[in-house]
Amino acid sequence: MASAADLQLRERRREGAWLIAPMTLFLLILLGFPLVLDIIYSISKVGFETLRDPEIVGIGNYGGAISDPEFWAAAWFSFRFGIIVATAQVLIGLFLAIFLAPLLDTRPWLMAILMLPMMVAPALVGLMYRLILHEFVGILPYYLYLWLGDSPSFLGAQTAFNTLVTIEILQWTPFALLILYTAYAAIPNEIREAAAIDGVRGFATIRYIDLPMLMPAIGVTYFIRFIDSFRVFDNVYTLVGPGAGGSTTTMSIYIYRAFFRVGDIGLAVAASMLLLVASFAVLYLINRLTARRKPT
Amino acid sequence: MTSSRSTMALRWLVFALAAFLMNFPVISTLITSLKSEAEITRYPGFWIEEPTLENYREIFRMSDRFDITHYLANSLIMSLIGAGLALLLAFPAAYAMVRFEIGQKWLMPTVVNLRAIPLIIFAIPIYLMYQQVDLLDTRLGMGLILCLVNLPLVLVLLATSIAELPEEIEEAARVDGASTIQIITRIVAPISVNVIAASAVLSFIYSWNEFLFGLILTTSNAVPISVGASFFFAASGGGVRWGVAAAVMMLATLTPLVLGLLMYRQIGRSMTAGAVKG
Repeated sequence: MASAADLQLRERRREGAWLIAPMTLFLLILLGFPLVLDIIYSISKVGFETLRDPEIVGIGNYGGAISDPEFWAAAWFSFRFGIIVATAQVLIGLFLAIFLAPLLDTRPWLMAILMLPMMVAPALVGLMYRLILHEFVGILPYYLYLWLGDSPSFLGAQTAFNTLVTIEILQWTPFALLILYTAYAAIPNEIREAAAIDGVRGFATIRYIDLPMLMPAIGVTYFIRFIDSFRVFDNVYTLVGPGAGGSTTTMSIYIYRAFFRVGDIGLAVAASMLLLVASFAVLYLINRLTARRKPT
Repeated sequence: MTSSRSTMALRWLVFALAAFLMNFPVISTLITSLKSEAEITRYPGFWIEEPTLENYREIFRMSDRFDITHYLANSLIMSLIGAGLALLLAFPAAYAMVRFEIGQKWLMPTVVNLRAIPLIIFAIPIYLMYQQVDLLDTRLGMGLILCLVNLPLVLVLLATSIAELPEEIEEAARVDGASTIQIITRIVAPISVNVIAASAVLSFIYSWNEFLFGLILTTSNAVPISVGASFFFAASGGGVRWGVAAAVMMLATLTPLVLGLLMYRQIGRSMTAGAVKG
């Protein structure tokens, strides 16, 4: 009997292998092969003409990327952008989730309106702001001139960062709102009622009951929003272009420009690999942290 | 929590303000698209003095220079490939992972973590690879990439949903002699129709809105609308016709907007599940 069950198990494992084979093969081709190519090119001297026979030169490209001040400027830009945007989105999203909960509980369709910004391509949002912020035909400068008599240049070297941060916050706060509202709505009312009997009311309920219970959702939301903001490309590219004096060079735009504008494939790929290593380091840390928290 | 009438009013006010600010790009673009070119320069504000559809008609008159139907068709086809293929690849894999516990150690984490990695890392080698196999500037090539982009989310959604199904039905079918393929296609797939639809819609929207790979991997034949819309600005040089540009942007974003309004429940549930389980 045991051998029959054993046989069945082995049979199922073989079937299972067939079931995951297509996806695995797909990933090996579209992910594994590019990764190998990434590693080879990152240690080679290679241009668009010498793609087929890259000349291995060692880790010079990595040195090139690390000693390029623009690389660090881009990394710092993306990091700062990600931190500011994710923090603001989580704080605003948390406030809206709790404050609007009585409305959203009874009228779920209101959420559809608040989720709408996420349906628009970030690239298009960038283009839309070209129109909105335009000196002569833009709605925002029009009202600023009308009411204040002056309108800042939204995309100048000094202001572009704040403009991009605002745009990113406005488009993706809905994500934080959605996740945090769902988590908030899932907190059982009995807990609040029990706390109310013990005399915990109003803000104290939020501080001592809701916030601690929302902590895991807040962590996940912050992480996702940080990652997505860190790798921002689309709206920056369509709003201010890939160049624009370098004041708005995100990490993704740095790599894009090194590859397509400068044609320095080795440098672009080495920068990609550094970014990949950094991503893995962050992921590893996050996994360690969440793994440690789970048993409690 | 009971709220007084004034706090309820305040809640509505905050909702209206948030809805207005967050949707500001779409609202103002819609307004501009309904104004004549003369009105836009004279008065760019929120009121429309003489609503007109002229900008929308103009787009289709200029199809020799800017072929919007071509871009929309490209986006539609590659998004369907991207969403459909991701489902086809992920469904059997998710089933095997959940029921046979295969690949949970390495395959699942690899795919899930893929979502947290900046896509530009793979853009360059994929460009070079596509150049060799003639997939540059093709809808199929774009569809494959979109599938790669969608796989992490789709896999997480399907695996979570399959794990919640009762195993007894499948066991009963197996006793009756059903093969694994039959169990997947006749039992698991039909009862998973909701999560399949939700994953499909969300992947479709993400595919439609993808920009980076469209920019890098296409030049003319397979340009998606997200990239095509920015061509409009480049094509018109210094004198951008803002009314027509606004109309182009509205048409470019219409499909995901309508899907989002109609299926906000499914999309919301998928986004939440994808975030929490991923």
